Amino acid sequence: MTDIAIAAQGLGRRFGRRGRRALDRCEFVLPAGRVCALVGPNGAGKSTLLSLAAGLLRPSEGRVTVLGTTPAGARERLAYVAQDKPLHPHLTVAATLRLGRELNPGRWDESVARRIVTDADLDMDAKIRTLSGGQRTQVALALALAKRPELLLLDEPMADLDPLARHRITGLLMADAAEHGTTIVMSSHVVAELEGSCDHLLLLGAGRVRLAGPLDDLLAAHRLVTGPAQDSLDPHTVVESRTTGRQLTALIRPAGPVPASWQTAEPTLEELVLGHLRGPDAPALSLTESEEAAA
Amino acid sequence: MTALSLRASAAEPRTRGPRGLVWVMLRVHQSALLFWLMLVTVAAGGLLWAYGPGADAAWAEYSEAGCGTTTSGFDCDMYGTAFQRYDNIVGVSSGLLTLVPLLTAAWAASALIGRELENGTARLAWTQSVSPARWLAAKLAVPAALLTAGMLTLTLLHRLMWSAGTELHEAWAVRAWDDSAIFLTNGTTATAHALLGLAVGALVGLLLPRALPALAVASVTTLAIAGALVELRPHLWPTVTVTSTDDVPAPAAVVRDGALTSDGSRIPLPDCLGEPGCLTKHDITGYYADYHPTSHFWPLHLVETGIVLAAASVAVGAAFWLLRRRTGGAV
Repeated sequence: MTDIAIAAQGLGRRFGRRGRRALDRCEFVLPAGRVCALVGPNGAGKSTLLSLAAGLLRPSEGRVTVLGTTPAGARERLAYVAQDKPLHPHLTVAATLRLGRELNPGRWDESVARRIVTDADLDMDAKIRTLSGGQRTQVALALALAKRPELLLLDEPMADLDPLARHRITGLLMADAAEHGTTIVMSSHVVAELEGSCDHLLLLGAGRVRLAGPLDDLLAAHRLVTGPAQDSLDPHTVVESRTTGRQLTALIRPAGPVPASWQTAEPTLEELVLGHLRGPDAPALSLTESEEAAA
Repeated sequence: MTALSLRASAAEPRTRGPRGLVWVMLRVHQSALLFWLMLVTVAAGGLLWAYGPGADAAWAEYSEAGCGTTTSGFDCDMYGTAFQRYDNIVGVSSGLLTLVPLLTAAWAASALIGRELENGTARLAWTQSVSPARWLAAKLAVPAALLTAGMLTLTLLHRLMWSAGTELHEAWAVRAWDDSAIFLTNGTTATAHALLGLAVGALVGLLLPRALPALAVASVTTLAIAGALVELRPHLWPTVTVTSTDDVPAPAAVVRDGALTSDGSRIPLPDCLGEPGCLTKHDITGYYADYHPTSHFWPLHLVETGIVLAAASVAVGAAFWLLRRRTGGAV
């Protein structure tokens, strides 16, 4: 059992010979057993990163190690749900689950698949093409979870679920992570979806890693401060700042004690992410497990 | 390990029939499978009918009209209805067989590969416990096995029909052994062409991972290959030459013919219609024809089968190479 779920070294992916870089020299380590939020604006490279980790794309540069081996070597131990939740439209729900069973011999847990499909009130004989987007997502998740993966890669899993299904699926994922120690990576651009369920954060921007590390440590490394506009924020690293009249609000990484005249608060996940999205020039910050242990 | 696998198999519902990727292939492409079974049934039915009742009725009609005897009448210059029906069914059945490579290529490029890459279901398979290479191998092997079985069956039936009907075809002077459709469906080449259609379709589907453009390009490519091979076919085995002094010899399967001059050189037939002394003017002393005797049937077939299967192997190799390059070389 390896204790690192995903490790990326200088990972890059270009589309076309001279094309756009979807990912550029990405470096990060995701320890096993984490529930990681993969966030970033549209086009930041989230889907490309998940495809690379799932072994569906070959990196243009660098490499990615998954569960201690190559993504292809870890194929049986990882599950992936693509953003558009592809399923064969002319198969029934039952046949789709049978497909999962036939293609994952020795790993398939029929009861997990059945439970998800039954909880979603799906008719086993319904054709996939007759299902709504949210229902298809739940069939796709049933395929992924019944494989009993050690690493679960989900690209925008909640995007078309209604609030009730979203709550149920989140609960299911958290239970799976708690019970089996499954590492989960979930991408989303709606940060509120991930708040409260993730303990690790990977923020991408323009194909680069902007923030990586345990969520608590990243939050603790930042302060949301409010103070008089004329004061200098040196020597702290300013991620983003806004002035409203005579008052300045900023997201900073404190380099020492913050003056007592400033109001400070620990940012929420959403404030942390929004601050970095608004301040694209802020330096990247990666906190690793060892630093956390040292702290 | 044994206990574990025993428990696993006990927990899973027992099912008969194909398992794993083969099951998935048959289930996902069920309509194509049913279409293939239907096509084979229709063509086999047509060939068997032509072999039995069709040929019998045509012969009965032939002898009733008194043809083939010294008293053969005017009617024998025109096809009777029974022969017409027989000939139509033979034409449709062997025509269906010659269509198979085109249909296979169109289907393989669109439904088998292109659509799966376009709508992402290929990625669904690759993130189950199936590597892209195994996925492509199943995509090729299952249809290849079904195509081979069906095509060989139909080829055997076609040979049966053809050999039984030789006298009938000779009596009416239709459908020589070297007619494109007849030649193709009497030997191994038809099966080889169907397999080439599958390989070309799969390769095009991978190159253009969108169903409709792939369908169009694969169809055009297969038609072009078939056309080129029809042109090439007479030159795949050395011809036999026959000469004559009074008229152009006319055996079956002539590749080229013309006139001979006194120094033995070959010239095209001059236009001498009704012109006295024309032949002497052109120094023509005889005529020749390069042709294939019927004994060339198998050599021609085997050479073409070899070429077509070699091309299919190249296409399959290219398809695996392309898939490997794209998905990171996972086996």
